[in-house]
Amino acid sequence: MIMYRALLTVSAIGFAVAAGANSLISPGPQAKIARSNLSASPTFEWNKLRYRGGKNVEIWTMDGDELNKVSFYGAIPVGQPIFREADKKNAPLPRVTANMLITDIPALLESTYRVQLNTSQMSIDSQEPTLVAGYKGIKFTYSFIRQDDEVQRKGEAVGAVVADRLYLVTYEAPAIHFFDKDVEKFRQLVTTLKI
Amino acid sequence: MEADEAERALRDSPLTIRDEALNAYVRRVLCNTVGQDRCRSVRIYILEVPALNASMRPNGAMVVWSGLLLRVRSEAELGSVLGHEFAHFELRHTLNAFKRARSTTDVMAWLSVLGGMSNTNTSLSQLLLIGSFYRFSRDQEKEADLLGLRYLAASSYPTIAASQIWQHMMEEADATAIGRKKKPRQRYSAGFFDDHPTELNRAIYLADAASKAKGGNEPRISGHQAGIAKFLPLFLADQIKLNDFGGSEYVLGQLASATGWTGELLYARGELYRTRGNPRDLASAAQFYDQAIKAGYTTPEAKRGLGLSLLRNGQVTDGKAALTEYLRMKPDASDAKAISALVTN
Repeated sequence: MIMYRALLTVSAIGFAVAAGANSLISPGPQAKIARSNLSASPTFEWNKLRYRGGKNVEIWTMDGDELNKVSFYGAIPVGQPIFREADKKNAPLPRVTANMLITDIPALLESTYRVQLNTSQMSIDSQEPTLVAGYKGIKFTYSFIRQDDEVQRKGEAVGAVVADRLYLVTYEAPAIHFFDKDVEKFRQLVTTLKI
Repeated sequence: MEADEAERALRDSPLTIRDEALNAYVRRVLCNTVGQDRCRSVRIYILEVPALNASMRPNGAMVVWSGLLLRVRSEAELGSVLGHEFAHFELRHTLNAFKRARSTTDVMAWLSVLGGMSNTNTSLSQLLLIGSFYRFSRDQEKEADLLGLRYLAASSYPTIAASQIWQHMMEEADATAIGRKKKPRQRYSAGFFDDHPTELNRAIYLADAASKAKGGNEPRISGHQAGIAKFLPLFLADQIKLNDFGGSEYVLGQLASATGWTGELLYARGELYRTRGNPRDLASAAQFYDQAIKAGYTTPEAKRGLGLSLLRNGQVTDGKAALTEYLRMKPDASDAKAISALVTN
């Protein structure tokens, strides 16, 4: 039964890949990112993945999302998880809650990853206040290992809760070589965010 | 050969906990259970994975997940699980399971590639497939249960421990369900254990067998507590971040039933309530941190948790005072700048 289910999954994923159409993000203003009122104005070319991972999620990459990935989470309301839940019944994700403090944002991301991506080793490595599109928010760095590939990845993110909605933008890449290679492009992108 | 390759991956995995004392403790319990001669052939790998599981590879590599160490309450309970896994090895069950292994690994490789291309998380599928890789028939499970029980009967541990584990698993499954506002399960089966006899069945036939062969009378609860003491904070933190309020509360309650509510457990309970973050949770969390501090748990993190709970619950002055104390105790904390901003605003 499990084998049968696995084969079904393989064919379903194969279909998704065949039907997928990623698109080019040209330098210049980009509105309605993650189907929300989040916008940015990149100065480099990015690729936007057709795969989104959630209703208000958008993923950009340069060399493929396993190597460098920017995820936008736009205007996630109270009561919603940041990802689409892979197994809502047995592994429900934590939700955005009312009155979140800035330090609750990295904790929400960590718990979400631990449940959905099985990152049993994950740490938030630094947290400091920042302005996100002019709103008071948090900038934080983190590192994690997924159980499936055991690659040490690093992440950097900015997040803010504006009018009871969570805005979060993360950059992730393997700690070896790739993280440092493109992190400045991410930091530049963050300076252009608008809500 | 394949098992040896898999063992090399285990040896080098960043998830493997290499702490000598913890490994020596688990080995001691295995040896106490199955006997000094038998246990010599086993290599133990403890992985930081917060779920209850252990498995045995056909070449003598035993894998123990950290979630098991957090949940068993005594050396006897741990010994009964390790003895059960060792019984599969002695009965050559894993070798037979290997005959169907090749096709499973091929599917796993494909899932990895396709998952990477489409950004689909394949880790869960992999865990499921690995589960099928080493799964046994119900008859084999029962056979291993009963041989495991014979090991216990010959050891200083009481045999009733084997049945108690399944009882606790059912209670935890119920607590998880209730915490998620679902009906407690009528039929007890969870994840990896789907192919095993149901927990209820197991609890019953193991209790019955235990009444006929009682074994020793030393469960050694304090021995287990001492064995995992250094890692308890890590295992608790891993558990609390899993968004399983009911299950985590049950696990904490079980630990407290053995030791009382220590400062360490109260702190973890505060973290659990603060993480869920409903208004009433925040008030409870503040109480638990407060009790932890009064019980002698004086780490900076207790002040941090207390301050954040109070602040989020609208008790601004007291919250800021606790956070200021945290910053005084740990000025170079990785979140010092963010906490400082909360105090200033």
